Amino acid sequence: MSSQEAVLQTEGLTKIYRSLLTPAGVKAVDGLNLSVRAGETYSVVGPNGSGKTTTLKILLGLIFPTSGSASIFGRTIADLAVRERIGFLPEDAYLYDCFSGEELIDFYAGLFGYSRKKRRQLVDELLSLVGMQANRRVPFRECSKGMRQRLALAQALVNDPELLILDEPTSGLDPAGRHQMTQLILELKRRGKTILLCSHFLAEVVEVCDRVGIMYRGRLVAEGTLSDLAGEATEIVITTAGIGEAAVQQLAQQPVVQDVKDGVVRIENADESQLWAVLESVHGAGGQILEITRPRPTLQDVFVRTIGEEAE
Amino acid sequence: MNPGYARVLFVLGLIVVAGIIAVTRKAWAPGAFHALPSIWRIAKITVAEARRRRVLHAVVVLVVLILFSMTFFSYLSPQEQARMLISGGLAAITVFGILLAIFVGAFLIPQDVENRTVYAILAKPVRRFEYVLGKYVGALIILGAVVAVMTAVLVGVLAIQDHLVADLPESPFNPNLGGVIFAAVMSYCSLAVLTALIMLISTVASTTMTVVSAFIIWAVGSLQSQIYELAESATGATKLVLFVIYHVMPKLENFDFRHQVSNFISYSVYSGWTAVLHGMGYTLVVLILASIFFNDRQV
Repeated sequence: MSSQEAVLQTEGLTKIYRSLLTPAGVKAVDGLNLSVRAGETYSVVGPNGSGKTTTLKILLGLIFPTSGSASIFGRTIADLAVRERIGFLPEDAYLYDCFSGEELIDFYAGLFGYSRKKRRQLVDELLSLVGMQANRRVPFRECSKGMRQRLALAQALVNDPELLILDEPTSGLDPAGRHQMTQLILELKRRGKTILLCSHFLAEVVEVCDRVGIMYRGRLVAEGTLSDLAGEATEIVITTAGIGEAAVQQLAQQPVVQDVKDGVVRIENADESQLWAVLESVHGAGGQILEITRPRPTLQDVFVRTIGEEAE
Repeated sequence: MNPGYARVLFVLGLIVVAGIIAVTRKAWAPGAFHALPSIWRIAKITVAEARRRRVLHAVVVLVVLILFSMTFFSYLSPQEQARMLISGGLAAITVFGILLAIFVGAFLIPQDVENRTVYAILAKPVRRFEYVLGKYVGALIILGAVVAVMTAVLVGVLAIQDHLVADLPESPFNPNLGGVIFAAVMSYCSLAVLTALIMLISTVASTTMTVVSAFIIWAVGSLQSQIYELAESATGATKLVLFVIYHVMPKLENFDFRHQVSNFISYSVYSGWTAVLHGMGYTLVVLILASIFFNDRQV
């Protein structure tokens, strides 16, 4: 499969939940067009209730779309053959809690019809991969949150899936657990897996993802690589030392200067001559220029800006 | 019931079953053979989970205590003692079996949906009917194990009592072991039918609703001959409703041989097997419906 080929595709995917109280229905997913390419790590981010988990549940056949279509590996999602090639990590690791890691992996591998020998081999391999060999016989309910998430990831890998669907893989984990999970995802990425990831943790998304889609009120409101989404950096930050109050007043009057505070001058949308004019003003006032940077907007900035614009 | 009317109903039943199988064949036919390992795996983990939770142990221990406590009525004649032991023992097996069937049937699927453990299973190449059948087979094994242990204890108690009173001059103690085992097997078969129906309800209703419905079904299913008599004497819409209830509800009383066995009355094994065959057909239809309903359920 070429790297540009879409492994997962949705067209106008819509899910409306209707009830007696809301006969008109609540649109959880609204005309979603999503395309995940082979080998990439794609992250869907969005606030609570934006339709991320609903989308994943539709893709896994747990719930059914009201309209639109979805395909994985070019087949309809209802096709059982699709599930031979995907792995799913549910949010909050819902597995039978009275069984140990090795029993759970054995059970889930059995659902693929693997022989006892292969199941034993998988138990060893996967528990080693997720760092659970030493705790292989600990019942799931006695595992820490991090151990549970790692076991849930192991069960998602029993069929060596080409596509991994991860729903909030680091939810509820402490920083160490989050780091471990992120490293595991990166390892899977290195092994060539296509990954669709839903997450609230933007730092983790930045670390592992090739492309990001921002969902809001069931719609995909922005999509692209991190640099696509961040756009061109328009702000320049000049860190100075030794400028007096009079120089600060003078700098603040220049049209491109947005803010001068604690020796840090922020300028926006400045061309080269305007930048030089600011630098000369600092120099003329006897100040020193310590650093000039052009910070790019973070995913957090993009996220907040996009959601803010959509909310308006 | 009029034999001609019964034959018409039997043929209509066969047509309904054939129709359901024909309509749903696309859902299960291509992978029916492939489905067996998945069904077995789900059944096994269902049984293993029930064992780990140790609820069954408590039920069995309770029944064993009840059975042994009944041996203390030494003032009864051996014959009366045998009657009381058999009657009480079979009643205990039936009552605890029904309670277990209701709670196993009502909770197995809804609990997985509520705890979301069903997500990781249905995300694997497992058809929904395989999941439903796996849960049902698991429930049958759990019920079978519990009924078998309780029956074994009852048979053991009767055998010991038989041995203890063997030298007494009074009327002989008749443990009627064959009859006890037959009645227990029939009781198990009725539990199998009841569990299938409870599971069907659990695929569409809440757990509370399922438990309440299960008790109603059990009561109605055990009073089918009275319902038939009422229907015969009723008129208009009441007659129609009662006949519908009579034909739709399982005929659980046909499986009940406790009275005959404990009172040493002769019974027809043939009528027992007829009830089993009827129950198997009924269960098949109910499980197909449960699979259809669960197939359309959003989890």
